[in-house]
Amino acid sequence: MLYYLVLPFLSILLVILQSTITDIIFSGRLVFELSLIVVIYAGFRLDLIRGSILAFVLGFVFDCVSGSVLGLFTFIYVVIFLCSFFASGRLATEKIYIIALFSFFCAFLKELMVILFYYLAFKFDVLVNMYFVFLPQVLIVSLFAPVFFYLMRRVEVSFYGKAV
Amino acid sequence: MFFLRKYKTAIFIVTLLIMALIMFSYNLKYGADGSFFKKIVLEAVAPVQKVLSASVTGIKDAWLRYVLLVGIKEENKNLKNKINEFKSTLILYQEGYLEAQRLRKLLSLTDDYDYHFISARVIGREQAALSKTILINKGAVHGLKTGMPVIAPPGLIGRLIDVSWHASKVLLFIDENSNVGAIVQRTRTQGIISGAGPRGLILKYISKTQDVKEGDVIVSSGMGGVFPKGLLIGQVSHVDRQDDGLFLKINVAPFVDFSKLEEILILVSEENKIK
Repeated sequence: MLYYLVLPFLSILLVILQSTITDIIFSGRLVFELSLIVVIYAGFRLDLIRGSILAFVLGFVFDCVSGSVLGLFTFIYVVIFLCSFFASGRLATEKIYIIALFSFFCAFLKELMVILFYYLAFKFDVLVNMYFVFLPQVLIVSLFAPVFFYLMRRVEVSFYGKAV
Repeated sequence: MFFLRKYKTAIFIVTLLIMALIMFSYNLKYGADGSFFKKIVLEAVAPVQKVLSASVTGIKDAWLRYVLLVGIKEENKNLKNKINEFKSTLILYQEGYLEAQRLRKLLSLTDDYDYHFISARVIGREQAALSKTILINKGAVHGLKTGMPVIAPPGLIGRLIDVSWHASKVLLFIDENSNVGAIVQRTRTQGIISGAGPRGLILKYISKTQDVKEGDVIVSSGMGGVFPKGLLIGQVSHVDRQDDGLFLKINVAPFVDFSKLEEILILVSEENKIK
């Protein structure tokens, strides 16, 4: 129960932290999507109900805080969570290169959905942003995901005495 | 009953996806101005973001002040020279301004609009893939409403899209969803300024026969009634007379550095104030 009560506040904190880091490091040119890495991590570690609620809440907060259409990231994050959850049973999720490759796939899938949405809904030709915005963002996510997974494992060990 | 119990997890997931899709389609069709949940989240975000931004700015400023001390003597000398140059230019402009005032009086011209400013502090920058917005520390209780134009001297920067009680969100011109009526100041040619994300702004619908050059100043046209006429937007940085198509491809560099916004002004019309 505590998990569901704390989740909205932690989601807000995470999104604020993400936007502050983005602002400091990239001056708004790129987005460092820590929230996406958390969703992938949830797919690997949490059960279906708790993880999908996390993805839903995190996506909703991200939608509210960012300027996107409300519901877009909520939907995308739940889809990404489901992908991660079903892939976790078939992949060696403790290997660094698997985490990096799978995060690359998820980030790429997310950007693809965003591009497709903007094209279908508003007829925006956003493919010009592919090389300078989307690809660097995907690379950042895939490079940072193993670091995040490692740090979370350390946290798990310090809390429970072993990785969950 | 047995079916529900057996597939309860799957039903729950499908329900979540459907909820997200409904929310998404509804907002796409009708927009999400003033959504209650959005206001609640913005209200929760604003104080945390304010504290975090203040600490980050403090550290950043302290560091920059230290770095800026290097070579400050030389810079000071150059700046003094520049001030002297600007002073002489200012005197010329003052003369022009006074002359314009006299002529305006003669022609009995009055402004069609009456605005006053509300200042606000930027407390957060939110960037999704194609969306550029900032969060400010003033809201509905300070008299702000959705749609009000926002400026950061010397030019326009965007408009309010979400207003909660104590915080508001500003859609910046560089956002891909942003479109504003604009005029090329020199030739009075009218077009539409659209956001192009990291590439700045694009001036659209200017016919190939029109005379637009690099360095031309772009100001708001006042069309649509949201933005007052004549406010600075940017400067033409590149004109592409491509072979195919009817229109010029014009890139515009905004006058304002959107990554360094700290304080902004919201233009409130007297009409809005009375309401």
